[in-house]
Amino acid sequence: MSGSLRRLTRSAVLTALALALSVAEGLVPLTILFPLPGLRLGLANLVTVYALCRLSGREALLILVARCLLGSLLGGNLMALAFSLTGGLLALAVMALALRLPGLSLFGVSIAGAAAHNTGQILAAMVVLGTRAPLVYLPPLLLCSLVTGAVTGGASILLVHRVPFSGRT
Amino acid sequence: MRSPAAERRRPTPWDAVVALAVVAFAVVLIFLLRPTQGSAVTAVITLDGETVAQYRLDQLDQPETLTLNEAPYPLTIAIEPGRICIDHSECPSQDCVHTGWISRSGQQIICLPNRLVISLSGSEAEEFDAVTG
Amino acid sequence: MKRFLPFLLSIVLLAGCTPQKSADQPAQVQFFAMDTLMSIRVYNEGGEDAVQAARQEVERLDKLLSRTDADSAISALNSHAGDGTMVSLEPEVTQLLAFAKSVSQLLPGDFDITIAPVMDAWGFTTEERHVPSEEALSAAMELVDSSLLTVDETASAARLEQAGMEVDLGAVAKGFTAAQAEAVLREQGATSALLDLGGNVTAIGSKLDGSAWQVAVKDPQDTGEALCVLSLIDQTASTSGGYERYFEENGVTYHHIIDPKTGYPADSGLQSVTVISSNHMLADALSTALFVAGPEEALEFWRSRDDFELVLCTEDNRVIVTEGLEAGYRPAGEDRGYTYEIARR
Repeated sequence: MSGSLRRLTRSAVLTALALALSVAEGLVPLTILFPLPGLRLGLANLVTVYALCRLSGREALLILVARCLLGSLLGGNLMALAFSLTGGLLALAVMALALRLPGLSLFGVSIAGAAAHNTGQILAAMVVLGTRAPLVYLPPLLLCSLVTGAVTGGASILLVHRVPFSGRT
Repeated sequence: MRSPAAERRRPTPWDAVVALAVVAFAVVLIFLLRPTQGSAVTAVITLDGETVAQYRLDQLDQPETLTLNEAPYPLTIAIEPGRICIDHSECPSQDCVHTGWISRSGQQIICLPNRLVISLSGSEAEEFDAVTG
Repeated sequence: MKRFLPFLLSIVLLAGCTPQKSADQPAQVQFFAMDTLMSIRVYNEGGEDAVQAARQEVERLDKLLSRTDADSAISALNSHAGDGTMVSLEPEVTQLLAFAKSVSQLLPGDFDITIAPVMDAWGFTTEERHVPSEEALSAAMELVDSSLLTVDETASAARLEQAGMEVDLGAVAKGFTAAQAEAVLREQGATSALLDLGGNVTAIGSKLDGSAWQVAVKDPQDTGEALCVLSLIDQTASTSGGYERYFEENGVTYHHIIDPKTGYPADSGLQSVTVISSNHMLADALSTALFVAGPEEALEFWRSRDDFELVLCTEDNRVIVTEGLEAGYRPAGEDRGYTYEIARR
């Protein structure tokens, strides 16, 4: 396989995986346990972490945007797209920076990513709704992101080490 | 991208720093968003468009009652620190008594038969522009 | 430095947090009309004249449409019930009567403006509220049939075919009034205004900064709290609920929305219905009709049309929001045990 084809296939597979993860997570909504709008485990973030670690920032971005667009086609709406895209992009940017820091592990990176995702979502909600009311949900969401970030962080460590991508292009 | 983080398998102390930073951010937000105590809440009581009484609910120390015998259906209003309600009314519908206590800026008690309105206003911006129902 | 990103973010957010007190207060007036409290607010600069003009329009319509005012057009129509006279009415009154009849035909058995004798039997109009005797109720029910209301729009006249029948426009007057008041406000140059006609909220234009009006839907069980918050631009949100006007007798609660099929307070499994539409008159009429209809029929009717949206609060504390509202709505009652779901077409 040529390098570019390999890259394309890989991105496509990861996009599909991310989509599947976000659909799967929608089947078991955390909000039943804990009624907080916007609360979710953030399994799709795993793919972003993996792509950032094993592929490149460019591919991670591509996968993220493709996932959000396809996700909104699958069952969301424009509003959900705005939320997931803003949250996802902010999480991607923060995690890309965090990965460059010398002292962190993927736990810290994922927690920073989850916190950034929630912040982005709430910012988008504030802009779309034209009110700062959604801000009250941010502190509890941030505290939850410690847990969800740590869980996905642990999972991403397994993922990154069990599925090493060797053939760098 | 090669990253040292990608190769680690165990959490590092710096992860805790990130977690603490998130907690600090949340705490700062909670602090900023807390409802400001002692913000002014004024209850204005109007009977057919005329203001008959006004109370600063936040500055009240003692419960008070106000009886309006001049209303078409005499009524008694109970005023406590921070809240107000219509305790008793001679009006046929009793909708005003059913409303119960109100305490926040923007809330209202209406007694239609009396054409009486108790409305709360305050220094704090109201959360909504209007209420339906 | 980069690990301080969360702090940097917090500073960005703080900038967004500074309380913005709108410098310009709206021109506003609050008054009683149509047996409810109304308020008109105009946010455009120099809106005082528009506010006064709109108030005059509301009071003019109140005089025209009131059933309790002996000089009103509706009283004229009611007083000639059964005597065969076609009563000449203002074109706007015949238009409103024809509209109300059309809603009765759209939702048979759920809506009828000739329900007035039954409302009177329950004492919801003026006297003490009470459960009517079986005889009084069945006598009143005999008089409920809006097919016996003849409306001639071209001649602008109407007739009630049976003696004792009475029309009460309570379920449509506020929506109609909102539309007329909006026209007056716009004529006066107002482009950003809010009408609150006894809980029927009409958003005219958007806020001055272009964002949507934030309108809370009352929690039927705790009217000081919000069930959810809607974003409205050029729309009316009209709510009907059993919690608004009611009484208790022998430990049973009776509310004021009477089911024209039974003559008793509607018991359809709903605590409240909010209808959102850019057709103000439709929003008002449907909130009453769909409260009587119940959740299944309401959603079915919604699926058959595209000119309104719904917030239904069911008796088992589910809040059903139709998909057209999803983008601008925010739940507010989770902590009081409400669960929220989106209804799709």
